[in-house]
Amino acid sequence: MRSDDGRNVTDKTLNNPMSDEELMSQVRSGVGEMLGLLFERYQTPLFNFYLKLTGDRAASEDLVQEVFFRILKYRQSYRVETPFRAWMYQIARNARLDHLRRRKPETSWEPEMSPSVTPTDTAQQAQEAVLLHRALMRMPEEKREVLVLSRFQDLKYEEIAQLLGCETGTVKTRVHRALQELREIFHELQGSGPRAKGSEGAGFRPGSGSVQ
Amino acid sequence: MKCEEIEELLPDFLAGRLNSDRAVAVEEHIAQCAQCGEEVEVWKKLALLPQEQPSPALRARFQSMLESYQEGRWEKASLAAERKKFLGLGDILQWLRTPSLSAAWACVLLVAGFLGGRYIDRDTSTSENAKKLSEVQAELHKTSQLVAISLLQQQSPNERLKGVDWSTRVSPDPQILDALEHTLRYDTSVDVRLAALDALGRYGHQPDVSRALVDSLGTQESPLVQIALIDVLVDLHETSAIGPLKRLQHESGVNPAVSQHADWGIKRLS
Repeated sequence: MRSDDGRNVTDKTLNNPMSDEELMSQVRSGVGEMLGLLFERYQTPLFNFYLKLTGDRAASEDLVQEVFFRILKYRQSYRVETPFRAWMYQIARNARLDHLRRRKPETSWEPEMSPSVTPTDTAQQAQEAVLLHRALMRMPEEKREVLVLSRFQDLKYEEIAQLLGCETGTVKTRVHRALQELREIFHELQGSGPRAKGSEGAGFRPGSGSVQ
Repeated sequence: MKCEEIEELLPDFLAGRLNSDRAVAVEEHIAQCAQCGEEVEVWKKLALLPQEQPSPALRARFQSMLESYQEGRWEKASLAAERKKFLGLGDILQWLRTPSLSAAWACVLLVAGFLGGRYIDRDTSTSENAKKLSEVQAELHKTSQLVAISLLQQQSPNERLKGVDWSTRVSPDPQILDALEHTLRYDTSVDVRLAALDALGRYGHQPDVSRALVDSLGTQESPLVQIALIDVLVDLHETSAIGPLKRLQHESGVNPAVSQHADWGIKRLS
């Protein structure tokens, strides 16, 4: 059930069998060109990571650029043969935190930033995608992040735990709580907007708390 | 199974990491419990959010950054080839015009400064290092010019003012002067035009520039710019301005202060 969109594999990277770790080791030892391959592999996943966190395309692109700049700048701090992705996402999170610190007063979510929908989607799916996106944007950043990391970035709970500096069990709990909250917000939004037919679970009402 | 138990299993279930027995148990629970079922549904529905593509400008920016990194480190031969392939003016202008211009520029400066620093640190007395240093300087200079030109094309008058300011930090190159002349002639903001005039005045000894200044006597409409222009031309002892000044003086609808100033200018230049 894990999302299949975690990696964007272009022809260029398909033809290059080198692992992320091998590429990064090369970058570390001064072969900057190899960073181009890592960029091709990760610009889209990182862009989507930021886009789902911020809802802001321009800021997301800035942040992706910042990540690769930092990778280059701090290339010596990459420890050879350790997982590249964990290291990269660590940098990505730090870049995001620095970015937040710099521009505190702005609230990030914008209602007009609705996701684009592929033409094959039905109208109902399109509507649900918009609502889900809005629901995601209404969540506190922390919960949104753990959800985005686990659902879209193709990271294992163990990797996320390492990233957030906590136990794997804690990550699982956080994912679950985030999902609960997302479900609640999603239903609130569905209730307030035009209702999508037949998609709800039987008899559920927002905030009813009938279970447990 | 109760919800509390499911809670522990759900994340692994969602990640497809439960063994089949437990997965079946979770599925049975989900079929009965609306709330847990909804959670799984929402998780699945997240797949509706599409994977979006960054704009091509991102790749251009990345390549610019990588380029500036490599230029300082790599052998000169491969470097020259890369640069040729790469320094498409359009690419860089596009990059510079993105909203994050300042961040990107900061990157360039950082890298350039870092590399420049490294070269200075070393023994610069050897001709090889001196050569490298001058290369870095030349590159930095070129980039400064691009920044100036691209700032001059920005939407906000403030940005354009910055562009004029930038242009004065680099030695004038025909492209910069063209951009400034264009700004003096067509910019909608009086402030920006005045700043461009001021910047151009410094290069007024160049025939092309002085010609452009004289020409713009006939096109400027703001009294402020007209008066400043007359001052600049007088400072430059630009005698070819006498004719246009006379025409300006007698133009219908000209501001009396401008007409008076033109008269003063003509006397000074004659």
